[in-house]
Amino acid sequence: MKKQLIILAILIMSVSAFGQDKFIAKNAYISFYSSTPLEDILGESNEAVTILDATKGEVVFQALMTTFHFKRALMEEHFNENYMESSKFPKAKFKGMIEGFNKDMLKAPVANIKITGQLNVHGVEKTITVPGTIGMEAGKLVATAKFKVTPEEYGIVIPSLVRDKIGKEMEITVKDNYVPFGQ
Amino acid sequence: MKIKYIILSILFLILVGAGVGLKMFFKPHDNINKMDASFKVEGASFINEFKKDENAATAKYSEKVIEIKGKLVAKNTLPNGTILLILEDEMEGISSELDAEWTKSNQPLIDGLKIGNLVTIKGVCKGFLMEVKVNPAVVVVNE
Repeated sequence: MKKQLIILAILIMSVSAFGQDKFIAKNAYISFYSSTPLEDILGESNEAVTILDATKGEVVFQALMTTFHFKRALMEEHFNENYMESSKFPKAKFKGMIEGFNKDMLKAPVANIKITGQLNVHGVEKTITVPGTIGMEAGKLVATAKFKVTPEEYGIVIPSLVRDKIGKEMEITVKDNYVPFGQ
Repeated sequence: MKIKYIILSILFLILVGAGVGLKMFFKPHDNINKMDASFKVEGASFINEFKKDENAATAKYSEKVIEIKGKLVAKNTLPNGTILLILEDEMEGISSELDAEWTKSNQPLIDGLKIGNLVTIKGVCKGFLMEVKVNPAVVVVNE
């Protein structure tokens, strides 16, 4: 019993000590871009949530599919109902580690990084490595990432009639301003 | 004679089809200001529903128009200029992005919103991600 209490106390202490090393962005930007001969398709959301754990360089990122906003209502409808099946798979999630992470990266000017982790979209999980940046810009801790995915990898079926007209890969862009969390 | 009618009616159908198709393609986004709320809720109990059972609350409220009354705790501007009203709790409350078109014609009302006051917003619920996300939204009552 005593032993359990000690373990519990150590756990609580370590959580509070490391708690100061968390950063959050509650309105992270994420976009989805694809070009077609007719017009470009761009879906944007400012409602993704991401937490950076600076004790180990872990990044957790989540976005609600229905928050993606498109220029045309029809695009938004197709995106949610036909392709992403947002009512069945409401969230896209990514959890990964910054390669070669050390805490000084968060105080230095923006520099290139690589993040490897699991991306879960449309209920399909894949391990990916994406290029990005992290560091201080105008007094703010800023992180970005830009990478390409193919819908087929995530079990997203696009009718063949439409498929040929859309670029094979979709470009995903992520930008966020981290602020200290839990202080 | 008969063939002429058939050709004419086929042409007519093609025209109607193209018209419907174009109308659908250029269909505008819903005007949140003109839509009726499916639910009228109090901020704190609304958040609790999501915290208690996120799946059930998401199924009940996601993509529905909700009228929410709650305490305004923050008013932020996103990098793209969108105004964000946060109700009840800054970290785990209700985050609502104001409709861009509505914002343009209601700037004085938005400027007059005071932190700590009760406000009623109406918007489309998008689900839960640490906080309840509502987008787009308009202010209905400013108390």
